[in-house]
Parts: sequence; structure tokens; C-alpha cells
Amino acid sequence: MAITLNINGRDYSIDADPQMPLLWAIREKAGLMGTKFGCGIAQCGACTVIVDGNAVRSCNTPVATAVGKSVRTIEGVSENNDHPVQVAWQDLTVPQCGYCQSGQIMSAVALLERTPEPSDNEIDKAMAGNICRCGTYPRIRAAIHKAAEMSKT
Amino acid sequence: MTAYHRPTDLDAALRLLADTGATVAAGCTDLFPATDRRALPGPVLDITAIPALRGIVATPEGLRLGATTTWTDVIRADLPPAFDMLKEAAREVGSVQIQTAGTLAGNLCNASPAADGVPCLLALDAGVELASTTGTRRLPLSAFLTGPRQTARRPDELLAAIHIPAAATAGRSRFLKLGARKYLVISIAMVAARIATDAGRVTQAAIAVGACSATARRLPDLERALTGAPATALAAHVTEDRIAPALSPIDDIRADAAYRTHAAAELVRRALTDLSPQEAAA
Repeated sequence: MAITLNINGRDYSIDADPQMPLLWAIREKAGLMGTKFGCGIAQCGACTVIVDGNAVRSCNTPVATAVGKSVRTIEGVSENNDHPVQVAWQDLTVPQCGYCQSGQIMSAVALLERTPEPSDNEIDKAMAGNICRCGTYPRIRAAIHKAAEMSKT
Repeated sequence: MTAYHRPTDLDAALRLLADTGATVAAGCTDLFPATDRRALPGPVLDITAIPALRGIVATPEGLRLGATTTWTDVIRADLPPAFDMLKEAAREVGSVQIQTAGTLAGNLCNASPAADGVPCLLALDAGVELASTTGTRRLPLSAFLTGPRQTARRPDELLAAIHIPAAATAGRSRFLKLGARKYLVISIAMVAARIATDAGRVTQAAIAVGACSATARRLPDLERALTGAPATALAAHVTEDRIAPALSPIDDIRADAAYRTHAAAELVRRALTDLSPQEAAA
């Protein structure tokens, strides 16, 4: 079935089953490989993208439900990797293996858009749905505070 | 490819449901993990494109919560303090990404004994509106949930809305959940409590416990003991014999039955302490 998806401000015409998980439409149909397949059962958060301003797990979102909405992936966070979250991530060398990090960054971006200066508790709550097997959580929290600080000036 | 229907009006959805017996999909947060395939087993009826099914509106009889209202919608809605427990539960459903997608009706129709929303909706005296091509009917939530993963919904019926009567929107409320860790956890026990007072006396006590019986249960003995009592030191009314008869906890990997009963009593005590007036003033 022909579907038009708006990803990072650009329209993609793709052929996909309407019930195909958005994750596969993004990766295999639109060819954007930054969004990762982690567990496939909505447990880990590696596949997190932002749909109409809210973080969702693309592995359990039927692509049909994203039609007519604005989908943002890691590729659309900034033009030159200079979004405050990306800069803070680089400054504090947040990733270790890196696999979960595009999902982590999308959850952090969604959080800061609604809550520009989150407390530790708000960060923990918002980021709980993104698992990191390397245990980079303390650096993630620090980087979100740093990104919030940078965004103020 | 299996059929995937995504109608934009309720009548079309009800006709499709009657004709195809499709699996109803909303947030898909339970449906996708429940299949081992890369696609949903079809046919599927996706009800999230029907505007009339989403949102919270006041009605002459109280409040109507549309079926596809998400947990994030609940968290962001302007609701009276009687709904604080539902908002607290909404923040405990999975993670933020799950709260964005997961719906109230999905939580009810999936009918997990550990569904976070159910104790709160029971303590709000919720009723469900079931729609089909042959008309609509209403059931109290307690009658809709018939067992673990079992409901009174016929295959041709759609849970269209949840109704909260105006009388149950009074008072203050609290939701507490015990799990093995803080986040992303299936409950060992959870409690929703709503207390309304007038002139220093309790006028309404609505207390429900989840994950300690086949379906979440209200605690009628405790509610009777509280009603009419002075609105102070509410937790002093909590005894195991006012709680245990309403529950039938199981032993499973998360906890054994005796621990669940003990935990439920302690959670009720804590919720009522939080709702006692001296706490509010503190």
C-alpha cells in the first residue's frame, strides 16, 4: 500500500503494509538507519522516535498511525550535530557502545521540549523507558542538565 | 498481507467489527509484544483515527473518558483532585513512550489483573459504554472485568468510553504501587483510594486494590468502617480482616500470597495517611 510519511520535515512515499511497525518503515523503506532495533517488544527504547512532539517506540507503532503526523528521528535532530543535547552528549562522552544512544537522545530531546529545566527526578522518570546495558545513566542525566543549561543562554 | 482497517468514524468501525471480527487495536503496546511475528495477526481494526473516541469531556452525568484517550492525555488534562490517583497511575504505566501510545480502553480490554488504571477507575465508580451495530449498553467496570484477561465484551462490541458519575468526582485521591523496582515494573500490589469529607466526617470512601485477586477489587468492609468516621487518622481503621476477605492473592514469581495481602494493607494505610487532613496541612 502506498503511504506518505513525513520524516524530519521531508515527505517519503513508501510502499508498506499499514500495520508494519514504524521502525521498519523508517529503516528499510525510508533508508534512515539511525533508529535502532533493540528488543522489538517495546521493552528497551532503542527505537524511540518523536511523533507530533511525543516520544514513542517505533517498534510497536503501526506505520498507518504516523500518516499525517510529523515524525522526527535522530537524523532530524539538527543539521550539523549541534543540537544542545548532541553537544552535551559529545562533551561528556556519554555513549559507551552507543547502540541505545539514538533512542536516549530522542527521549532527552522530547523531555527538554516540554520541560526545559528538568529535575533529577523528572529526568529519571522521562528516561526510564530507555535501557542502556553499558550503564551510562549517570552521564545521560548529567548531559541532560548540561543541555538544559546551554539552551538557556 | 492481512487486512488492516483504519476507519475515521465510529459507525464504520462498528460495521467492520461486526462483519470481520477483527482484533481491535489502539496503542498496540500490548498487541505487538504479544505476537512473535513482524506484523500483527490480522484482520486488525485500528480505532485511533476516530476523533469521537478520544478525549475527556464533561457530560450531564459526570465525565466521559473516550476509549482511545492516552495516559499522556490523562496526565495533561485539567481534572479535579478525585482524579489525582488516575494521574499518578498514568505516570506508572510503562514508560513515557508507552504512556504516549497506550490507551485507557486498551488497559481495560487487555484485562491484566495488574492493570494500573483499573483500581483508580473502580474507586471512581466507573462504568463502561459498549457499542455495537445493535446499540450501546452500559456496565459497571466491576462487572465488565470478569477474570484475568477476560471481559464481558462481545466480539462485535467496542469499548467506546468510560463514564465517571458526578458524585464520584468528589474528594481527594491517592494511588500507590509496590513493585520490585521503581520504574517499568509490574505491580506486586497497588492501591487507589478516594476520600470525600464534609464537616470533619468522611462522606465517601472508595478504596480498591489491584494485583491481589483475579481482577482488582473494592474493599467494602473498610469503606463501611470509614464512612461517617471522623476525617482524621484514617489509617487507624485499616485491619487485615477488613481487607483480606475481598482479595484472593496468588503466589507467583513476583510475590507470594501472604506477602501480597500484607503489602496491600500497608499500601492502604499509607494512602489513607496521605489523605488524612493533618497531612494535607503539614
